[in-house]
Formats: sequence, structure tokens, C-alpha cells
Amino acid sequence: MILYDASKHIKLITRATEFAGDKILSREEKSHYHQFRVMGEDAYALIEFLKQDAELGFQFFLDLTAVDYLDYPVAQPERFAVVYTLLSPTLGIKTQVKAFVSASLPRIASITHLFAGANWTEREVWDLYGIEFTGHPDLTRILMPDDYEGHPLRKDYPLRGRGERSDFPVYRSRPRES
Amino acid sequence: MGMMPKTNDFTITRLEDAINWARSKSMWPMPFGTACCGIEMMATFMSKYDAARFGSEVMKFTPRQSDLLIVSGRISLKMMPVLTRIWEQMPEPKWCISMGACASSGGVFDTYTLIQGVDQFIPVDAYMPGCPPRPEAFLDALMMVQKKASRGEARAQDFQEQATPADSGAV
Amino acid sequence: MYAYDKEIIEKSENTVHMNVGPSHPAMHGTLRVKLEVRGERIINAEQEIGFLHTGFEKLGEYRSYNQFITLTDRLNYFSPLNNNIGFAIAVEELLGIEVPRRGQVIRTLLCELSRLADHCLSTGALTMDLGAFSSILWTFIEREKLYDVFEAVTGTRLTTSYARVGGLAFDVPDDFEKRVTEILDSLEKTVDKLRDSFYQNRIFLDRTQGIGVISKEDVMSYGITGPLARSAGVEYDLRKYRPYLIYPELDFDIPVYHGGDTLDRYKIRLDEMDQSIRIVRQALKLLEPGPINLEDQKRILPDKASAYKDMESLIHHFKVIMPGEDHGIHAPVTDMYSATESPNGELGFYIVSDGGSCPFRVRIRPPSFINYPIFSKLLKGLMLADLVAILGSMNIIAGELDR
Repeated sequence: MILYDASKHIKLITRATEFAGDKILSREEKSHYHQFRVMGEDAYALIEFLKQDAELGFQFFLDLTAVDYLDYPVAQPERFAVVYTLLSPTLGIKTQVKAFVSASLPRIASITHLFAGANWTEREVWDLYGIEFTGHPDLTRILMPDDYEGHPLRKDYPLRGRGERSDFPVYRSRPRES
Repeated sequence: MGMMPKTNDFTITRLEDAINWARSKSMWPMPFGTACCGIEMMATFMSKYDAARFGSEVMKFTPRQSDLLIVSGRISLKMMPVLTRIWEQMPEPKWCISMGACASSGGVFDTYTLIQGVDQFIPVDAYMPGCPPRPEAFLDALMMVQKKASRGEARAQDFQEQATPADSGAV
Repeated sequence: MYAYDKEIIEKSENTVHMNVGPSHPAMHGTLRVKLEVRGERIINAEQEIGFLHTGFEKLGEYRSYNQFITLTDRLNYFSPLNNNIGFAIAVEELLGIEVPRRGQVIRTLLCELSRLADHCLSTGALTMDLGAFSSILWTFIEREKLYDVFEAVTGTRLTTSYARVGGLAFDVPDDFEKRVTEILDSLEKTVDKLRDSFYQNRIFLDRTQGIGVISKEDVMSYGITGPLARSAGVEYDLRKYRPYLIYPELDFDIPVYHGGDTLDRYKIRLDEMDQSIRIVRQALKLLEPGPINLEDQKRILPDKASAYKDMESLIHHFKVIMPGEDHGIHAPVTDMYSATESPNGELGFYIVSDGGSCPFRVRIRPPSFINYPIFSKLLKGLMLADLVAILGSMNIIAGELDR
């Protein structure tokens, strides 16, 4: 049974800083896990290390998502952040990697080779945020229709959309002409 | 041998009325359950509420053999072409119940992807308030449609169907 | 594989493309699978989702923390209370507060009753899909009884909106304990009846045994959690992993199977129902009088009754509810991932706060969305009819899948 073990965090921190010491922008302690912040180009190597290192063994994929930090009160390195949540069955802890991606070139390496579960979540992030995952086998829209324009979860996208929901090509019943 | 026919064992009515009566008592629903309302719709057809008492227990999911479309749940941009295609496939006379706040008006979800009321696209005979409506409300709406049917009325009669775009999503 | 089946696959080049869903009796909710079929064998399958995309995450940025609880009902409509409580726990973890004892006991009770309601429907639906209609009638009767309890406690049957940040909307009724104990006995009987009816049933076993096997590696790689993971031998349950509420005090087991097939997924749900009944029995004994809400007037809604009588409570009520910069719950400017065990698996909420009354970003990690991608992989090489069995055993809920 995978049980939470708080004492194993130190091992994670030492191993992770040994591997990518200067690349880790900052580290934050949350209620029950540690979050590592890196730039987008360093994320893949760190996640690959976390997964394949025998002592750490973060082999359990939990979640992948993104955040748009437009107009956030605290300055962030870049506008977008891709957030990976992983679980280690060997250590019994979770960890999070937050990779910052620039607004001008929203692009990051795909982790579908490492975790099959990342396939759909990456498609979802592409659909809703417009962040491109290089090396993804099939990066197409997943939740919105294929011909939809824009990325609705971005902060500059209006909540009620840009009129798509009342104006799209679909048959309507019209009042019968007498 | 056999029963002698009694002299008072017949009734006189118009054929149309007899047909309408039969139609109203044997509504075959086409359940289009997408979300929470679909669960309450299921509850209505299950053991406790038992919609079979109203002659509507046949849920066959084939639009070509049903005459009552129950839109229960929220309808998104991607789903709307499918719904209209199903509505088109149903033979006339047909009726439609819009179940719950989301199908009727978008409900609490005033967002970029949700249709704010299916009546923009298909004619609706009965609206059911609630999020989700209770099974009792469902039965009430069913009886309202039955009354309408027994009068020979249907909102679909007032509408004409337009040619569908060639590819409006598969059903 | 039968001989004629092999012959069809070998000799025939006639591959048929088939479309199942999004409106199909076997597809629970609005799922669509595009199949390539030869004979009755599935050669290839492709899933399409998004037919119920509602924009929960976008809407969450415009709703305050307590308002968002109302939306979480509509995520997983099989077990809304788990979602309510899961989100409330996530916000509480972000704020660093904890609910008083009685509130925690009630939350645990309702989480488990809600899990029972979910499993009632999902086990019933699986057997209904396999042709045994009467079993869903049995389980639905139990679910209706649970609905009655939810209605007595929360006021509604399905969309409960019962949890609040820092507590609950209101206390449980006086006869709560009596009502629940009555249900537990009949539930136990129903679970036994389901076991008796299906564990020895040749047809049921033939259609479920060895069908749709999920391997342990796939569980890790895809991130599958919940009954699906535990039926494949991965013992991961958040109630044991990092216990929340009063779970550490309770004596219960996590059922684990190692086959990973449809039958094991059915069995594990029945076993979990047994464990939930056990938890509810124990938790009922721990239900003692006391406050249900945290007393923190700056952030937690005061008791509704006192808001009508007491000037100060009224002011605080306004302060928490009103929109605007200076009002509402002020969470620290940070982000937090917090998860609870919903009936389908790990239900996570990743909340980014900018210090305002609304979250800056709410990410819902729905178990269904992460569990579902493996479905097309499981289908390859199986019969068309197995699609129904596998999907029924996965218990995918479209509201949670598409959000």
C-alpha cells in the first residue's frame, strides 16, 4: 500500500538539487508536497530524472495542467506555467513541477513518452491554453469543436465567449410560413 | 358460445380524436440524457417513480421510433448539431421536453461553450424548471405533453425544418 | 477465439467503420467511440470527448469559493457530496484551517453514503448493460433510500451543495442516525444479493472474466486511480495514503484485487460498499453534539440563524458574501494541490489564489478524465459486445470527464 511518508521529502530535495541545482528557480513547500519551479526548457529533463531515478521513482502520473498568470499580483518569470503532479510509489510522496512558458512562444516538450496519461491532458492544455507540446503524437483539440477559434481558458478570453454559442453553423427550426 | 354483443358497447368519436387519445397514452420517449438531469430521468423510469404507469416506459434510444424527445442536461456547442440531427430524424408528430434549467436557459453555466436554451434551435413543448427537477416534476411535464397530444397539438407543427448542413456531426 | 472468428479476421478485408455515441444507450453520458470492426472483432478504436464541455474551470475564476461549491455538484452527479466536500477540503487546506469535530464526522458519513450511492448505480448499470435488468432495479431502490437521507440532510436529492468552506451549510436532522441505520441493513442485504446473483453466473463470468485487463504498469503510466487501480493491484487510496477527515480513527480495509479485469472491477465495488457500510456504522457512534462550523468570522460564514438576529453576524455574513476587493475569503497568494478519494478515484483540486475573493484558477483533476484514455487500448482485439461491459465497469461520468 502506498502510504504518505513525510520523512522522504529530504531525499527528494537532495536528489533533485543534485541533478538540476542551478536550473531550479525556486522550491516551495506546500502542505504535503514540494513544488519545483523551472523554466519550460528544463522541465522535461527534470521529470525524466524524477521518473527514472531508482531512488525516487516518480512513476505514477497524477495530473498535468496549466495556469495563465496574466495580471497576477506577484510577478512570475513568464506568463504561462505548465504544472505536473507526480506520485512516487517507492517514497510515498507527491511532487509538483511548475514549468514556465513564455507568451510569445508558448512551447514545451511533451512528456507522452514518459507517461501515457499525459496524452490527453496535454491535448487539453493545447485546446484551452494554446501551449504547444513538441513531440506529441496527436496534438488536436479535445474538448472544443475542431473548428473553434481561440483558447478559452486564457485570461484575456471573455467568460461568455465571443458570440460562438449563438452563432455557429447548425440547423434551426424556423417558424412555418403560412 | 361467446358473448352476445351488448347494444351499448360502442362509442362514437372522430377518428382523429381516437388517434390522439392513443398517441397520448403511448408516448415513446427518446431520452437525450447528458448530465445530472439524466440521472433524475433514470430515477423516474426506475422502480420508485415508474413512468410505465403513464405508458412511457419504452426507452429505446432510437429517434426513428420515438415521439417524445427529452433533452435532459446541458448542451454544449459540440453537442447541439447532434441534438438537432436527432430531432430531425424523429417522425412527426413529435414533442419535446426541455428538462432542467440548463437545457431550458443555460442554468448556472453562462459560459463560452454552453447553449443558452435549446429552444433557440428546436421547438420545445414543455419546460421543466429545477436543477435538476424532481421525478414528480418530470411526471408532471409528461402529463402536460400527454394533454397537449390528446388535443392534437404539438409545437413542431408550427415549425418547418431546414436543410441540414452536409456534415452536422454523427449520431 | 472461435475458429470462424479467426477465419473472418484472416480472410476478410472488409473492415467496417462504426460509430458508437455520443447518444447511444450503452455509452453512459455523452461519449463517442469510433471503431474499426472486422466481423465482430474490434481492430481499432478512437475516442472522442468534449460533448459536455461546460467551462467549469473558467467559471470558477468568476465565482467565489463558496459559490463554486454549488458548481461542484454538477461535476460528478453520481456522488455530488464527495465533490462538495472535496472542494471544501481543498480550500481549507489552502487557508490552513480545520473544521470542528462534529463537522468532520458528518462529512465523513456523507462522503461514505455518497460513495454507496455511486457504487449502487455503477454496479447496477454494469449488470444492466450485460442484460440483467432487475439488478439495477434493486440497487436503484437502495439509491432512492439514500436520496431520501440526502434530501433530509441537504434539502435536495441530487445537487446537494452541502459543504461550506470551514464547515457545512447546516446540521443534520435529529433522526439522521435512525434513518441511516435503517438503510445500512437493507444495503448489506442487497450487496449480498448481488454477490449471490452474479459471482456464480456463467453468462456474467464469461462476459467479464479476463475482459479489458488493465496492467499495473498502465495504472502508473496513465495515472489511473480509484477502484480501477485497486482492482489491478495498485493499493492507492487517499483515505489511507494521507488520511483526511476522521479516517485515521476508523477501522476499515482497502479491498484489492490483482486481475484488473471487468469482473474484478465489479467485485471491488461490492467490497468497497461493505467497507463503506462498516465506516458509516463506526462513524455514527462518533457523532457527538458540538459545533459544525469553524468560528472564524473573517472568513467563515456565520450560522444562518444568528445572521438574522445578531448585528455582528449579519455584518460578517455580508463581508463574506459580497463581491469586491475587500470582501470574501482572502486566501494567501499561493497555489495548492489537494485531493480526496472520490468513488471514482483521486479527485484533486489545484487552486491558484491571487488573494482575492475568487480563485485565480481552479483546476479540477477529475478521476474520469484521467481514467478514460486507456479505454481504446483495452478494446483492441475484443468483441463488440465487450465494449459495453468494459465501459460499464469503468464508470465514466461525462460531467466530470469534460468539465
